[in-house]
Amino acid sequence: MKKKLLILPSIFFFIILSIFFYLLIIERNPSELPSNLLNKNVPIFETESLFKNEKFISSQEFKNEIILVNFFATWCKPCRDEHVYIKRFSNKKGIKVIGINYKDNSKKTIKWLKNLGNPYSDVLIDKNGRVAIDWGVYGIPETFIVNSKGIIKYRHVGPITNEIYKKINLIINENE
Amino acid sequence: MTTYLGNFLLSLSLFFAISQFFVSKKNKFKFITITVNGLLISSLLSFGLLMYSHIISDFSILNVFQNSHTTKPLFYKISGVWGNHEGSMLLWILVLTIFNYFIFKLYNKNNSIFIAKTLEIQAFITTGFILFTILTSNPFQRMFPEQANGLGFNPILQDPALAIHPPLLYIGYVGFSAAFSISVATLTLNNNEKVPWYNYMKPFVLAAWTFLTIGIALGAVWAYYELGWGGWWFWDPVENASFMPWLLGTALLHSLIIVEKRKSLQAWVLLLAILAFLLSVIGTFLVRSGILTSVHTFALDPSRGIYILAFTALLGGYSLVLFGKKSKKYFNTNYFALFSREGSILINNILMVIICATVFLGTIYPLLIEAFTNNKISVGEPYFNSTAVPIMLPAILVMGVGPILAWNREEKSKIFKKILPSVLLTGIMSGLIFSIYQSYNFIGIAGIILAFWIISNNIIILFKQKKNYSSGMLVAHLGIGLLILGITGSSIWQEEKITRLQINTSAQINKYNIIFKEINEAKGPNYVALKGNFTVYDEKKNIITKLEPENRYYPITNSFTTEASIHTNLARDLYIVLGDGNLSEGWVVKIYYNPLVIWIWIGALIIFIGGIISISNNLKKIKILS
Amino acid sequence: MKMNNANSFILKRILIISLAFCITQFFSNISYTVEPDEILQNQEYELRARNISRNIRCMICQNQSIDESNASLAKDLRILIRNKIKEGSNDKEIYKFLTDRYGDFILLKPPLHLNTLVLWFLPFILLALGIYIVFYHNKKSR
Repeated sequence: MKKKLLILPSIFFFIILSIFFYLLIIERNPSELPSNLLNKNVPIFETESLFKNEKFISSQEFKNEIILVNFFATWCKPCRDEHVYIKRFSNKKGIKVIGINYKDNSKKTIKWLKNLGNPYSDVLIDKNGRVAIDWGVYGIPETFIVNSKGIIKYRHVGPITNEIYKKINLIINENE
Repeated sequence: MTTYLGNFLLSLSLFFAISQFFVSKKNKFKFITITVNGLLISSLLSFGLLMYSHIISDFSILNVFQNSHTTKPLFYKISGVWGNHEGSMLLWILVLTIFNYFIFKLYNKNNSIFIAKTLEIQAFITTGFILFTILTSNPFQRMFPEQANGLGFNPILQDPALAIHPPLLYIGYVGFSAAFSISVATLTLNNNEKVPWYNYMKPFVLAAWTFLTIGIALGAVWAYYELGWGGWWFWDPVENASFMPWLLGTALLHSLIIVEKRKSLQAWVLLLAILAFLLSVIGTFLVRSGILTSVHTFALDPSRGIYILAFTALLGGYSLVLFGKKSKKYFNTNYFALFSREGSILINNILMVIICATVFLGTIYPLLIEAFTNNKISVGEPYFNSTAVPIMLPAILVMGVGPILAWNREEKSKIFKKILPSVLLTGIMSGLIFSIYQSYNFIGIAGIILAFWIISNNIIILFKQKKNYSSGMLVAHLGIGLLILGITGSSIWQEEKITRLQINTSAQINKYNIIFKEINEAKGPNYVALKGNFTVYDEKKNIITKLEPENRYYPITNSFTTEASIHTNLARDLYIVLGDGNLSEGWVVKIYYNPLVIWIWIGALIIFIGGIISISNNLKKIKILS
Repeated sequence: MKMNNANSFILKRILIISLAFCITQFFSNISYTVEPDEILQNQEYELRARNISRNIRCMICQNQSIDESNASLAKDLRILIRNKIKEGSNDKEIYKFLTDRYGDFILLKPPLHLNTLVLWFLPFILLALGIYIVFYHNKKSR
């Protein structure tokens, strides 16, 4: 056995450990998934609107302006927690805020929005969760930023926190 | 008061561990005696103190508050001590000090330098773990302000198998630390040709392997009975973390035999001993650092991860570089014929290492991908079933014939004569079972035939009553044959029935007719439940049993569990789970017919017994040696 | 309070029904893996659905497939897969549909790409190396 080969186990060991070390020190959430739709076109879908009479057709809507898409439900507590940030976004100039109501009761949603305030320029109904699947949603609330060309630029899973709020603002500014 | 005492005892243990490190360097027997005993007693006391606090529900201790509750039954209050991260570290330390003590017991005037060196390394390891506990995982933190009751507990932990499996696993992991220390001591010391280091290593490897086996088996038992869909192994990273040291331990166990008999493969064994323990520590890292998510992971804390990683780097770096430099003199040019006892053991070792490498690769690959690309992938059961499992087949094949081959070289003509009886017996047994159960799955058929191959070989050896076969080996190998029979049978011949039943309607599965008699409320010490009553009839309309699956609600943690109801006999398990439903529409019911499941547990138990027999025979030998 | 048999029978029934109702309200958001209503009539289709489901990861569970999981997303995906099978999609198309939206992470069996070559081939390379070592030993022992 060549003497040089004997050092292989230690080299291999250090490589593996360096990789572990790297993963530890960068900020990562082991249970969070990067969206597979980043930098791709908005999914094509059609659905009913909660307040408007006409159907929502994605190909007609996702162009010309930056849109923030927020998946929410009345039965989801973190959605309630982040609602204040959604309202702030709705006041921001130059972007439109659309809500997609996931697996919910329309009457309850209307009441919920009445109580908390409605930040959405449109609320779409996703009764059976198919629209969410088209967006690769796996846990609500989820928020997406779509630029004026209909490309998804950002996705956040979970409620929006102060930090995320700042981050989204930056991204919106970048995409103007 | 308790927190002060506990912290004092931990610091005392640290003191003894560091002292042992230094006095062992000087080989001062008297001082070593003090530190070894001091370590054992202080860690025993600190562990006992934590246990006492849990038993009396002292919620002034943060650990007790976070993990216990007054309504918890006593047995689970006790097992709750190691059911959390901090408490389990205290158990790790206790087992380390116990093995430290056993290493010390080997001390005699001939091997004093060697044992002292071993104790020095063991002290280093123990220091590392105690420091880790004090700095990042102290169980004796104060809870302020003190609450009247604790945060309850996870109801899934309320299970006997789950309760006792961690201590057994830790005996396994920590046992390998002794083998590691012996290996590093051997490599470090220059003139130790006369010290039979492999004789010292063997009892620790045997103990570690035996208890790791039963520890893993109990985890699987728990999964089967508790998780509600009849599975018992999921290739979850933490399960893999226990399986990898087991694989290397198996290789180590077998190659130690060659070192004893042929003085060959010494360098290989020294490396294996280092790797087995390193894998135990890396496994600890994967579970407790937050780098992965898994059903088993404890709370996430990056500081813990960094510490364990640094400690692993130190241990592994030093030992592997040492191996690179000093192992040359342990190589020799003994080569083995393919058809020989040594050859079979060599094949076993190679295959165990390949399977271990595959499991390791599959477990960390998602992390590698994440580090180098922006992607995330999953490596789940289908991967391991396609790679690790098929590689096990040749290992099992060789396991049947290996023990009956001669040392050095077996003549090919004799081989046929030797294996003929077992081939015939295997054929008969397989024929019988395939006449009852059909299968078209290649791995399934191979698994069953191989299981009978092992069982026949060992039965025949037992029959012939040859004295020169290790009885521990025979029993353990027989256990493996039964284990594989159970694993394969329950995988390929499982039948499932999912249906919605109203009260007084029935479902058919295999030859059984199961009638849904009624639904009731049930109450436990800390839960309320909905219980279904099912009566099982066979084809002759005889009552086989009553099954009563439950859906439980635990108010303390606001969580739900499903409790399957299982009827077991030697041929099959009938396994029923109650689902969602109501009185008008009926209830979802899932029924499984799982053939041969009990042989998995019987097999594991027999392997354990085989291990215990080997340990006891080995201890007798050591007494004679010293 | 004295109760005659008839009254206690009715009371017991009411208690059971109300308890059952309460507990089912808790359980109503939870499904218990593949449900009877999901099972397709066509056995071949159902078998395909089960096989595909076993390879799809439940994203919000710990290391479970959607076939085994209780989660509502798992149920949605199970139903979606069955619908697609009924519509005529083949397995490859169904997997593509899911990975387009959720990435390769959703597959429990890692796909064979450039970045998984090592994952899939290393075990067999090691096996070949092992076989070589055994035969080398054998040769040298003569």
